[in-house]
Amino acid sequence: MLNLLRTEWLKIRKYWAFWGVMALTALSYPGINYLFYKEYLELTKKGSSTGDMAKMLMGNPFVFPENFHTIAFFSSVFVFIPAIVVIMLVTNEYTYKTNRQNIIDGWSRNQFLLGKFIDVALISVLVTLIYFIVALAIGFLSSKPENRDIWAKSNYIGLFALQTFSQLSIAFLVGFLVRKSFIALSVFVFYFLIVENLAVGFLKAKSHDEGRFLPLEISDRLIPLPAFMGRFNAENYKASLAAIGPHIGYTILVTALVWGICYWTNRKRDL
Amino acid sequence: MPVLSLDAISKNYGPIRALNGVSFDVPQGSVYGILGPNGSGKTTLLSIILDVLGADKGGYRWFGQPGSPELRKKIGALLETPNFYHYLSGRENLRITHSISGRGSEEEIDRVLGAVNLQDRKNSRFSTYSLGMKQRLAIAGSLLGSPKVMVLDEPTNGLDPVGIAEIRQLITELRQQGHTIIMASHLLDEVEKICTHVAILKKGELVAEGRVDEVMSDIDLVEASAEDPEKLMQALKEFPGAGACRMEGRLVYASFEKGMAPMESINAFCFSQGVTVTHLILKKKRLEDRFFELTGNTSHA
Repeated sequence: MLNLLRTEWLKIRKYWAFWGVMALTALSYPGINYLFYKEYLELTKKGSSTGDMAKMLMGNPFVFPENFHTIAFFSSVFVFIPAIVVIMLVTNEYTYKTNRQNIIDGWSRNQFLLGKFIDVALISVLVTLIYFIVALAIGFLSSKPENRDIWAKSNYIGLFALQTFSQLSIAFLVGFLVRKSFIALSVFVFYFLIVENLAVGFLKAKSHDEGRFLPLEISDRLIPLPAFMGRFNAENYKASLAAIGPHIGYTILVTALVWGICYWTNRKRDL
Repeated sequence: MPVLSLDAISKNYGPIRALNGVSFDVPQGSVYGILGPNGSGKTTLLSIILDVLGADKGGYRWFGQPGSPELRKKIGALLETPNFYHYLSGRENLRITHSISGRGSEEEIDRVLGAVNLQDRKNSRFSTYSLGMKQRLAIAGSLLGSPKVMVLDEPTNGLDPVGIAEIRQLITELRQQGHTIIMASHLLDEVEKICTHVAILKKGELVAEGRVDEVMSDIDLVEASAEDPEKLMQALKEFPGAGACRMEGRLVYASFEKGMAPMESINAFCFSQGVTVTHLILKKKRLEDRFFELTGNTSHA
């Protein structure tokens, strides 16, 4: 295991494109959340009736402990940025046939896949860490010292980590099966941003919300709309909170299935 | 015990039969050439023994054991093209080779880079290397840890004449040190110069196998010329016992089974066919001749 970790580190240590996209992730997460936070401050500080009404309706979604939920929700929209890194890491191996060389040099096919699994897990941890730091920073910025019930909703850290790992695993699967970086990136981003959102919306309107079982939506429902948005439809909000539990199970199942497909394909496929 | 034993290996790509029941043993300390025209199955065969491809039928054993990652770690290999991380330097790439295989050491990386004349460019990115430099880096990777067995697919591909001579010299030295080298090539001259053994493939079939001198020894080659080479070739083709015939410039070559090339009769037969032979000798055979004989190719590789 240590050897796999060391070798994967040697592969990415000087891969500047990797670090560039990771830097973009590190900037986008605080950026988008700070933007919403500033908007909220603008809206509520006016002392006008609008501001007071907004405050009354929304509460403060950025104070402890609600910040962990709110920031997890906004950050999760940007998971396609680290997904680009994941797709690059796997498709590069096929483009330059280095996966072949790894096997020739003495890795088993399973070790190669395990190395990539470690990459995806580490990127998920890194992304969760960025989210955690942003949530803490905004929490401390916006909370009054006497109101710091910091960890009451820290379960969202785990939910965010699981969601990120699941969705990055799906990105990995796309890269692993397609093997061509540009096509894999296009397929994933198009599906992530457009196809699934349309399908979920359509199935919600026309059917019994079967869209919740689509691959990305399954883990999307780990982090429902922030509480302040839920106030507009309390019934729905309660239902979405209740759905978190089952969706943890579904997400673990889908993620296991994704890696199962990778394992099976990797064993059977000629390199 | 042979270093490598192949047992009836077959591989199909859809309807195309890439290998059909190929079996042979590679003796320890040999330089074993796998020879064949493009598409004959050389790279497929090497890919199977390195576990990059799976065989449809048959199997192979390294040192009497089924192939495994642990065994592959002991083998230095270059397959088809140099496969390295384009954004890393030559040195960084060999650190990955070392990390995976456990062969060699950090210090030895510099030594093998020196052995293939890449010392000056060891810190340049792989993507900036010329084709020849990439090939030399791949050879350096396979030399790491001085493995007792090396598998080299077209090792002189992309090298200039000096580079080719250097690699041939390197292979000869490795053999003298007791290394076993399995080498695919379509360069007949290369195989003849440096290999001790050869297997000749044709469309996935093994058509000859053994020591180079033995493979070459079972034909006689007649070299002839006449005013009209086309007519001469036609006459030689019709001569009883003649095998494959080919023309090179104004010279015509005809192969015969060992000891079955009666020069006087050939001369008389050609004359009776209206061809006056102006030049007729029994040539020392070259692997090239045997290759064309076996593969039925009519032009040089």
